Amino acid sequence: MTVAAGIGYALIALGPSLSLFISVIAKKPFLILTVLSSTLLWLVSLIMLSGLWRGFLPFKSTAWWPYAILVFTSVCFQEGLRILLWKAYLRLEDMLDAFADRLSKPRLFLTDKMQIALAGGLGHGVAHAVFFCLSLLTPSFGPATYYADRCTWMPFFLISAIIALAFVTIHTFSMVIAFNGYAESKRVDQYFVPTVHLIAGMLTLINFAPGGCIISIPLLYFMAALTLIHCGKMAWRRLVDEQRRGITLQ
Amino acid sequence: MEGSILDSLGKELIGVMSPVSICMLLVVLLVSILSPSSSFPSSPTPTPIVTAANLVYSENPSDSTTQKFEGALLNAAVFIVLIAVVTFILVLLYYYNFTNFLKHYMRLSAFLILTTMGGAIFLSLISHFSLPFDAPTCFLSLFNFSVLGVVSVFGRGVPIIITQTYTVILGIITAAWFTQLPEWTTWGLLVALALYDLVAVLAPGGPLKILVELSQSRDDDLPALVYEARPTVSTSSGGGRRNGGLGLLVGGVSDNSSVELQNLATTIGNHSNEEIAVDDERERMRNERSDDQGETIPLVVANSSEIGVVDEERSPLVEMVAGEGRDGGDGNEEAMTAGIKLGLGDFVFYSVLVGRAAMYDLMTVYACYLAIISGLACTLILLSVCRRALPALPISIALGVIFYFLTRLLMEPFVVQTSTNLMMF
Repeated sequence: MTVAAGIGYALIALGPSLSLFISVIAKKPFLILTVLSSTLLWLVSLIMLSGLWRGFLPFKSTAWWPYAILVFTSVCFQEGLRILLWKAYLRLEDMLDAFADRLSKPRLFLTDKMQIALAGGLGHGVAHAVFFCLSLLTPSFGPATYYADRCTWMPFFLISAIIALAFVTIHTFSMVIAFNGYAESKRVDQYFVPTVHLIAGMLTLINFAPGGCIISIPLLYFMAALTLIHCGKMAWRRLVDEQRRGITLQ
Repeated sequence: MEGSILDSLGKELIGVMSPVSICMLLVVLLVSILSPSSSFPSSPTPTPIVTAANLVYSENPSDSTTQKFEGALLNAAVFIVLIAVVTFILVLLYYYNFTNFLKHYMRLSAFLILTTMGGAIFLSLISHFSLPFDAPTCFLSLFNFSVLGVVSVFGRGVPIIITQTYTVILGIITAAWFTQLPEWTTWGLLVALALYDLVAVLAPGGPLKILVELSQSRDDDLPALVYEARPTVSTSSGGGRRNGGLGLLVGGVSDNSSVELQNLATTIGNHSNEEIAVDDERERMRNERSDDQGETIPLVVANSSEIGVVDEERSPLVEMVAGEGRDGGDGNEEAMTAGIKLGLGDFVFYSVLVGRAAMYDLMTVYACYLAIISGLACTLILLSVCRRALPALPISIALGVIFYFLTRLLMEPFVVQTSTNLMMF
């Protein structure tokens, strides 16, 4: 029974990414490589962050502000990393285009670019879910379960799976938004992503209050839905534009 | 509408990575299922198993750290010496053309691994899940399973997918057995093997280097257990080989380069020889013609257009001549498929690392998996740059060990602290 529960938690956190992976990513080997390298990058960033904070942990006081600083620095660090990733992606795009020219094949389509961005985001999201949720699931396969003190309605594993799902969504699609924003140099999109990430990170601080998870989880899902809708609208707009341009060219 | 270049880019990388991933995944599952009960029935339960890898020093949890460290070093040294000796014997045998003996010996060791070690693992699995299974059926199916494995190891005309499957199975079984070693010995062994691999493949006079060069000069298969990531389109291994050779003749380039060989003495005293060889003559040819930017592109180039060309272009000579004028792009050399070869030893020791990580926590498993896979990718990219036999262990093992300890010492407290407070970002 607990094995089933453990698998269930894992699927709650990673199910949507899994179906995204199978339906979009797995068909193109290059996208799989993108996912893997972006996951690795996220892991490296997490290790660097934890190296930074290792001296201060564990916090002795039960105050919430050290955590606020921690979340703030982490988000800033990771958003800086996203800019680096964009720079790397630009070089990659040049290389791929040059390569396509040599093979006399068409250059990267808009959908290709979006798929690469999606794969990069999925890597970040999966890494988040794996390290913050999945890697703590081992005890849930055992005979007992665990409840966090401040949120006693659900087992700890279920809560972390639900929160992880929200973050997976945010990470995955904000990468698409960010890359698009950089490509079109639209300020709004460029600032939208770090803001959402920071707000979502800060929202988890509400969990510090007893019973706070009741409030924080709906808010978190509101942010996730916002990211999703924004990304959907943006992708739709770009695709329609692209199609129209294609028709006028012909 | 023409397909975009993303469609097939990096296919060969994935072709090598996916079996390695499958192997690691299954070893991790095996380890996490079996490690609480912690004993395969055939091993004497109270005392730890005695293998070639801990002849000198058997680790005791109560020993002091220095004692463990010295013991692990000693064990690793003895194991490496043993492997080196066995490899030299194999090279000698191969040098004096005892190829058939070597092949039969490989078959015998594959049979022994599949029956005894595989059987033991199977037994402990069915006893763990308490599945009822009568002895004659068990014996018969195990025998059938092993015989098919033996046939597939060097068999001609066996579908490549079966050979690949059995190579992975052999890797899983051996790796699962190696995870029985005590902790410090495992780490010492892994690091020592990576160093040995580096020397044996790259140093002049290294046994594996000699072996690879010998087999290239004879245009022969390596007498060893190798995973070939060949596209499944090619009909039989013989055909693939011949085509490759012809292509080389025409292209006027030297033979395929192999990546690495490595040898391993298994627990029950039989030795199976493992290696990695990569044929990248295609990239080489491609680069001779258009050697403008060879650094990161070639691997990608070779992968780009091999779909659909394979069957229609059975006369490489003509195609090659015709292709001479064009720049890149055409899939001619790709018709002569000879994929990347990865030695079974690398499968085994990657999986040993991950399996050892699985005994600590899942977090270290993920970190080590990512590190190993990225190390493998680095090796493959290096391969397309260097065009010669390369050891596959050093980069991956180094990254894996580094990430294991970083994760364990730095990341785990951090992640546990934040996420038990339901803090995420």
